[in-house]
Amino acid sequence: MSEYKPEATSAPTAPASPAAPRTILSKHDVSNIAWLSLLNQAAFNMERMQNIGFTATMAPALRKIYKDQPEALAAALEDNMEFVNTHNVTQPFLTALMVSLYEKGESVETVRNIKVSLFGPLAGIGDALFWFTLMPIMAGISASLANNGSVLGPILYFLVFLAAFILRFPLAHWGYDIGTRAFALISANARRVNQAATILGVTILGGLIANYVALSTPLEVPIGDGNTIALQTEFFDKIIPNILPLAFTFGILALLRKKVNPALLIILIIVAAVILSVVGVL
Amino acid sequence: MPITLVQGLVVTLLATICAIDLQLEGFFLFRPIIVAPLVGLALGDIQTGLLGGALAELAFAGITAVGGTVPPDPVLAGVMTVVLARTTGQPVTATFAMSIPFAILAQYASLLYNTALAFVNPRAERYAKEGNVKGILNLCTVSIILHALVYAVIIFLSTYVAQNGIRILVESLPEWLTHGLDVAGGLIPAVGFAMLLKVMLKGSFVPYLFLGFLFATFIPFDNILPVGILGVACALIAFYQSAKGPGGRVDGAIPIDGPEGGSDVGI
Repeated sequence: MSEYKPEATSAPTAPASPAAPRTILSKHDVSNIAWLSLLNQAAFNMERMQNIGFTATMAPALRKIYKDQPEALAAALEDNMEFVNTHNVTQPFLTALMVSLYEKGESVETVRNIKVSLFGPLAGIGDALFWFTLMPIMAGISASLANNGSVLGPILYFLVFLAAFILRFPLAHWGYDIGTRAFALISANARRVNQAATILGVTILGGLIANYVALSTPLEVPIGDGNTIALQTEFFDKIIPNILPLAFTFGILALLRKKVNPALLIILIIVAAVILSVVGVL
Repeated sequence: MPITLVQGLVVTLLATICAIDLQLEGFFLFRPIIVAPLVGLALGDIQTGLLGGALAELAFAGITAVGGTVPPDPVLAGVMTVVLARTTGQPVTATFAMSIPFAILAQYASLLYNTALAFVNPRAERYAKEGNVKGILNLCTVSIILHALVYAVIIFLSTYVAQNGIRILVESLPEWLTHGLDVAGGLIPAVGFAMLLKVMLKGSFVPYLFLGFLFATFIPFDNILPVGILGVACALIAFYQSAKGPGGRVDGAIPIDGPEGGSDVGI
């Protein structure tokens, strides 16, 4: 896909040619991603959730990919320190896919857009399969066995979820292969893919704000004659439910754009939440 | 029957391993159906462990850590259901209810820990800027160890040292404090989302944020998957529209300015 340059033939074996599809990682490196995905929630924090563990999963592979490019390594690592929250079993599919794109020389921005568009849906698929389907089924089966005094209950439960862990390995290899094959397509359409991925990512973020940010008020406003209006259910919810979480997120966005430190924001939020709930506003 | 020091230590060790897995969600050892029989084994009464595990597992089947929320702690529920059955002689149905204050204590300890860990992010970013892979991996290891220590202390105190004290402490936590922390837990994710929006949200993408928000608000569903499908539909529309237009400008269609910045004439 790189344009042919005659003068390039004078140094055909130059190893750092960024345009040539590169294969740097071994099968073992990809399996290692599945192992390291165990760290996904190791440094789980309320602000950016899995960002540190997610980055740690890819970090050794990235170090190998960008062996002689410390700036590129730093850029890729830094870009992944933003918010991410996905399902732990489907995480190696995503990280291996991203790593294969980095390996082939895809830009940090494109990989980020693909990540942001995929982590939410992968979390949804993983939650649906493992939390909402497999877990209740296994809870029912194992509990009935255990209730009859059989140790088979916990053993069966353990084996099924052990299988779910082992599934991370084929998922990592699958994600890596998809990334390798999709690379040419993505590169040829980089602008359109970026745009489509950003649209998907921003749509998901809109949904995440509605689902994850929780803000409501128990305040009641007197309207005379001893009657009151519940501010939340009879005012805000009548305009549009979740309007407070949306407004709050935009407020935080405005503060971040004014370069307010996120760590400071978190302290302020905790202090304000406690004070406002003491006085009965939250 | 009182718990001996050795039993207390063995229970703490086993339950702390399960608690590490609660943080990592690797092998699902943190579920009551696994924790309770292990504790029963350590106390020499696996039958009580199996019965308590079955009860607590079913009770916790609907309580899941989906979407970054922190539910009552399944490890402490499993541990204390069995331990209290042994120490008080009550049936597991009663001791499961008695285990809940301990589960709530561990829940708030986890919430506090996860909140405090946000202050590690600047350091993680610094390691990233330095290309310090080892530093990032070490942050994970240290965080696992600290989290395990918090749990080990709670479990050991709950099982051996101060069963009654812990229960009184939890029951006397003021409502305003627990409620305030709850509220803060619901607000802090907004900081993470806003940081992503700061990078991704450019003028022509704003409509999609509202679409996703409205969809998730009016179709309340357990997970984000339907919003994902809506997002895929929007992304595909834009993708195919932009293929048709010769110069990137598409008449009467969704605005398709790329992130590298076209003008917003499409709106």
